[in-house]
This record gives sequence, C-alpha cells and structure tokens, in this order.
Amino acid sequence: MFRPRTALAGAAAVAVLFTAACAPSGPPAGESAVSDATLTIATTTDVVNYNPLIGNSRSDYWITNLMYPHLLSIQPDGSKGPELAEKWGYVNDTTGFYEIKPGLTWSDGQPLTAKDVAYTLNAVKKDKPAGTLYGQLANFDSATAVSDTRVEVKLSHPDASLIPEVGFWGNVVPQHVFEPAGSVAKFANDGSKGGWVSAGPYVLTSVQRGQSYTMKRVDNYPLVPGGKGKAAEVVYRVYPDVNTEILALKNGDVDVIANSLPPAQVKQLQSTPDIKVAEVPGLGYSHMTYNMTKPDLAKKDVRLALAHAVDYDAIRRVVLQGQAVSTGSSQLMPVLSAYYDKSVTEYEYNPDLSRQLLTQAGYKPDGNGNFPLSFRLIYSLQDPVTTQWATIVKDGAAKAGVTIQLQGIERNTYLAMTDKGDFDIYAGNFAIMDDPATNMSLAYLPGGAINYSYVDDPALNALIDKARVTFQQPDQIPIMRDAAKLVRDNVYDNIMYTQNLYVAYRSAWSGFAVKPSELLSIVNPVSVASATKAG
Amino acid sequence: MSLALFVLKRLGRGVLTIWFAVTVTFLLLRLLPGDPALAIASPNMTAGTRAAILAEYGLDQSLPVQYVKYLGQLVQGNLGVSFSQGISVSDALLERLPWTLLLVASSLVVTVLVGIPLGVLAAAKSGGLADRFVQLVAVTGQSLFVPSVGILLLYVFGLRLGLFPIGGAYGEGVYGGQWYLSVISHAVLPCLSLVLVQLGQYVLTMRSTLIDALGEDYVTLARANGVPGRRVLWKHALRNALLPTTTLVGLQVCLYLVGGVILIETVYAYPGIGRGIYEAVVRLDFPVLQGAFLLLAAVVVVVNMITDIIYGVLDPRVKAAA
Repeated sequence: MFRPRTALAGAAAVAVLFTAACAPSGPPAGESAVSDATLTIATTTDVVNYNPLIGNSRSDYWITNLMYPHLLSIQPDGSKGPELAEKWGYVNDTTGFYEIKPGLTWSDGQPLTAKDVAYTLNAVKKDKPAGTLYGQLANFDSATAVSDTRVEVKLSHPDASLIPEVGFWGNVVPQHVFEPAGSVAKFANDGSKGGWVSAGPYVLTSVQRGQSYTMKRVDNYPLVPGGKGKAAEVVYRVYPDVNTEILALKNGDVDVIANSLPPAQVKQLQSTPDIKVAEVPGLGYSHMTYNMTKPDLAKKDVRLALAHAVDYDAIRRVVLQGQAVSTGSSQLMPVLSAYYDKSVTEYEYNPDLSRQLLTQAGYKPDGNGNFPLSFRLIYSLQDPVTTQWATIVKDGAAKAGVTIQLQGIERNTYLAMTDKGDFDIYAGNFAIMDDPATNMSLAYLPGGAINYSYVDDPALNALIDKARVTFQQPDQIPIMRDAAKLVRDNVYDNIMYTQNLYVAYRSAWSGFAVKPSELLSIVNPVSVASATKAG
Repeated sequence: MSLALFVLKRLGRGVLTIWFAVTVTFLLLRLLPGDPALAIASPNMTAGTRAAILAEYGLDQSLPVQYVKYLGQLVQGNLGVSFSQGISVSDALLERLPWTLLLVASSLVVTVLVGIPLGVLAAAKSGGLADRFVQLVAVTGQSLFVPSVGILLLYVFGLRLGLFPIGGAYGEGVYGGQWYLSVISHAVLPCLSLVLVQLGQYVLTMRSTLIDALGEDYVTLARANGVPGRRVLWKHALRNALLPTTTLVGLQVCLYLVGGVILIETVYAYPGIGRGIYEAVVRLDFPVLQGAFLLLAAVVVVVNMITDIIYGVLDPRVKAAA
C-alpha cells in the first residue's frame, strides 16, 4: 500500500543526498589558518563574467578590479589619478604614453610589465570584446612597449580623451594567461585552468555560484602602505534582496554593503549602532531627453516649457530625501570641480512660464486650459527612483496644460525602445560621467551611442570636436562650458540632479578610501586593501 | 491494459508534451521585446560589436534555422551555452537544482505531515472550536505575502533571536559534519516560509474532501457495522479523501521545483534554480530559459505519471478503469 509519509521522507532523503554533491571539501592538510580578519562584502548579483575585458555588471567589476589593475583611477575631485601608471599623457597629437610602476608582479610570480599593457590594448582592439574598454578605442591604432615600464600609444586621429579614458576604464590583464587562450572576446577566464592570476591586492580562490566568492590576499600590492592588503581574505556574498543584505549587515554576517543604499534606508542606518554610513560622491546624473524627431519636441519653446514644468526641488527633497544636488541643469556636475560652472542655473519650476512659452509657440489651450500636446515618457521599472519622480514630472506638466503618459517598462524592453527611439521623452540615468568631452560626444554628436534627443547642432558639434582635440585642460574647460550652456539653453538634454550615494559598513572596520561613483566607492582596490578591523 | 503499456503510452504522450513546450518556449522567447546583445554588452556598444554578439550566439540566423539547430542540439543532449555566463546550460541548471530540490522536498514533507492531520482534525471536529481555529490559521497562511513573511522571519529568528543565519545555503569555511548542520540551519527559515504559505491549501483541501467522504454511504455502513470511529476516520474515509491531496502534492512539485520559489530564494539569498531563472530573464539568456522550461516540462510529465500511478494504488477503481 502507498504510504505518503514514507514516500515523502524518501524524497527528502534523495534531496539531501543530491545536495551532498555540493558539499565543499576541507582545506588541504597543512594549510595554515589565516591570522588576520576576513572582510565580508555583500553584493546583490553574482559574477557573470570573470574576464574584465567583457564583464560589465557591478559584481564583475568589483571582483575583477581586485585582480586586474587599471592604469588610472579617479580622485575625489573627479580628476584622473595614478593607479598602475605613474605618469601618462601625450608626446604629440597622435602619440600618447603611460609610464607604469616598476617592479610589479602577477601573483604567479611573472613580472607585470609594459608588455602586458600593450598586449591588453592591442588585443581588445583586435578582438572587439563587448566590454566598455573597446568603446574607448575608436581613435586607437596600436600600443607598443618601448621599455619594461613605458607604453606608447599610436592614435589614428588626435583625441585628447583617449589616454585618460582608456587608462580609467581598462583593466590590464596578464599576457601569459590571456594570450594562449585565444580571443580576449571569448576567453571566460573562469579559473578552470589552474585558477586565477592577480596583480591586485586579492586573488579569487573559490566560487560558490549564487552564494559567495572568496579571495585571498596577494603578498605584493605596492599601492598601499605595507605592500599588501590588511585583511587576509575578502569574501563577496550574494544577497539579491537589499532588505536581507541590510539585516545581514546589522547581524554582523557581512561587514560592508557594496551597493549604494536606497534613499529611504540611509537615515535609518545612520542611526543604527555599530553601523557607519559613508557618503560617496556620484559621478552620474539623472536626466530626461526630448526626442527631437517628433515635430512638437523639435521646437525649442516646447522643450523649454516642459523643462520649466518640472519641480526639481520636490524630486530631490521628497523622492531622494535630500540625497541629491542640482547640477544647474548642466552635465558639468559640481563633483567635476574644474569644469563646474556656477553661473549656469537650473530651469526654474514655473508652470505659468511654461504656458506662456507654449502660447508663444502658437499652441492654444482648450476650455480646461490644456494644450493639444501629449507625450509618452518611458522609464525602467527596475529603477525605483525614476519610477517615483516620473509621477512628479507628469503632475508638473499637467499644471502647464501638457499631458504626459507614463510608460514604465521592464528594463530590457526599455533599452530596446530607447535604442530604437521609440519614445517622446526618455527618463533615465547616466551612470558615470568622468570625461566631459567623451560624454558629450556620445550624447550630442550625430550618431552618438546615447544621443537620445537626436540633436544635430553644428555649433555644438564644432565645440565638442574642438574639445576632443584640445589637450590642455585649462584650454578645454571654457569650450566644455560653452557646450554645456548651449545644451542647457536649447534643452537638448534636461539634467535633473546628481545623486550622492551612501554605502554602509560595520563600525569595527575603518581605513576605507572613498572614491566617487558606485563602481569605485569604498570597494575600490586601494580601499579594500586598506580596511582594518579594530581589535 | 498492462502497466507496461500504460507507462509506454504515457511516455509517448510525455515526449509530445515536451516537444510542444520546447517549441512554444523557443518561439515565445524570440518574440520578447528586447535585444539580447543589449543585455549582454554595454548599451554604448558599436553596431559592429552588436552584430558580432548576435553572430556569436547564432541569433543573426533565421528563426527556422535557429529552431532546427536547437532541436538538433537537444537530441544530442546538448542544452547549449549560457549567453551571459559562458558555461553549459546543463551545468548552470544542475549546480542550482539540488538546493531547490532540498527546499521543495523538505517543505513538502513538513507541509504534508502537518497539513493532513490538521485537516483531519478540522474535519473530525467540523463546526467546533478546533475546526474554526484551524480554518482561521489556514486562511491566514494562504493570504501571506512570501517576501514579507521571509523578512519578518529573518528579522525575528535571525537578527533579534540569533537562532538562524541570515541568507545563503551554508556558512563559509565549514566542512564535513559542520557543513551539513550549516545547510540544515540555513534551510530552516526558507522551508518554514514555504510551509506557512502552502499549509492552508493542504488543510482546507483535506478538510473539505474528508467531510465529503465522512458523509458517504460506505462510512455510514462501516459505522453501522460497529467499526470504531477512529478506524473509520483514518482507515476508510481518509484513504479516499487523500486523492485530491495527492494531486495537490503533484501540482506543488511542478509549481515550485522550477521557478516557483523565486521569491523565497531571493529573500533568503538561497542559490536555487528559481533565482537562476530570474537572472536569466533579466539577462535575456535564451539558452538557460529554454533549458529551464524543458526541465519544467519534464518534471510536469514525470510528476503527472507518478501521480497517476499513486492514484491507481490509492483507488482501485482507477486501476480497474485503466
């Protein structure tokens, strides 16, 4: 006779046995226990790709960054600073260079030289991997190691942004590991052939997909005092739900949350015992672009009317709980202190002015005061902040007599619609704006990858082109300011705010070195390697 | 009809069902809005990079060509390679399946062991205080929102009382027997959450079918013949009342084994297959999704077969009809 209890107990036993296949084996006999602390960092996603030339998710970046150094990093004032490279710049308009630190080695003992740098850049140019670095190499021709520490870069066209941008976005990978594997666009670098090799402060030693990534200290990391990381191990643990992540931090299961906190959680964690919250300057901005291929939005007065119908202060105060700052409706955010232009001011919230502008443009309101204007605004439902402020934008436009239909959509659909220009108004974020000339060429030149307004203004094009071949920053700054003012005055883009980010960690830990942006924040390699635990 | 013929017929029907599911999944995924290249690479990529990505994964070919190639792979037992992770789909699914299996099996065992007696109690004391109390608990359980229950349990038993760990399937740096204990302690709260939300359905199903069974003529006859009440309840009425519950177990296995525990696995940071499917959806990872739905179809077919066989064992009339 069928006995349900027996059958179900049997099923459970099978499940337990099946799970036993996942049981990890113990450390090899004789391996000494680590003497220093383990820094446990929470992240919300698994690593998708261990090849830093391909991967583009947050976790990919954070973990591979601890193994594959960049040539340059970014300073708190938004300027580029040294990482692997001690010096960088241009010999002439079409030749750049990097001078890297001498005496560096990979964790397997092989020297890290300029040949690794040249190999990385040439291989990316040749194999075209899908990561961010390849996009920076449009004007790159070739790289040559002229000595163990110097790389010279030939450019196909003069480009003042190439050397700093490639230095900032590109990781250097070991030639002796990547070259034998073939194309860098296809190499998974998943450690299946003898593990990983690192020139950062830590090297990945164990992966439990869906659960954790364990990294051990490398004993030669000269970028921090003492020449090696303070913590013996770094463990990244995956918590897909941010609430669970926060509970784990409070409980002491993790020491740091790598992702920036949702605005609503910041104040609560600031007053939680044993938890500290660090402010990280944002390097990105939130914006709306108006699709100028649409006849109504091609008119400057209509775009200006829409820009004046947004209550920016309410968005920053209510939705972002004061954790965002105005950029003066300019791409040149306050964090980019050398470029920031205080004289450029934010669009005033004034629905009456919007009405005047629309009337001036020839539109007539109906009996209810509504103009015959209706626009479709798209945003990603995976972005909770934009989802909230989209409603404020709609309400403000209604006061100006303009109808906005909100279309919140799943992220992949949103990306596809954005790519096809299937929107009237686009609402979204620009994650990292570290180089104004590069950003503006992407956003405002015809054919630019993120030119969502489809603007093609000869005056603006000329300014951006000029900035891209102006190699001295003092000469470039006024050009960029003129370009930003042109964008602002013609509403080619509506920059709404830059969000300051907050990350939380256990107060037993200290020594973190904060850098701007969520990518670097307190989990940049130098910061992680510098972190120490009290007691 | 012999049992072997019955099983063979069912197998044939199962293969057809799986082919149908595979075909529908293949087509639906390609009808989804969105561009897998955008999900794989940076949105700032050049047109050349996009074309290279689409060519790399065969997405630049016509649908019929893609379909024939996919079926050809399947016949050879090859589920393809994950777009996003670059590993085989079989590996991507199998490394996560045991965790979901553990969670679903253990919660089902507890739910059935608790739910059936509670349902019997409610039916036996129908209209009484115990019945009302059990119904109240069952209905409340059914209306719980899984993530909220999860966070509440984590807060109380994990953070406040410190009885169970917060998130994950096991602790770091534990081996041997300690590892098994760690697995158990990590599974308790997600399992409890599943039990709480499933229990009501079992209790209420058991209660209503048992009340119906207790009104049947054969029960009246058994009582008239002097069979003790407890024996009538547990031996005569319960056996027939178990049929809908058996169906429920089959449905729950199908529902939860592939994908149904997404929310639980997300809240508890549990590395199961539901989370894998969710991540595949976010990344438009067609091969992983196709593999997961193939697995789902296979599970549904197998579980239905097992349910049919159990039906035959429980109810001789079903066997006679077959």
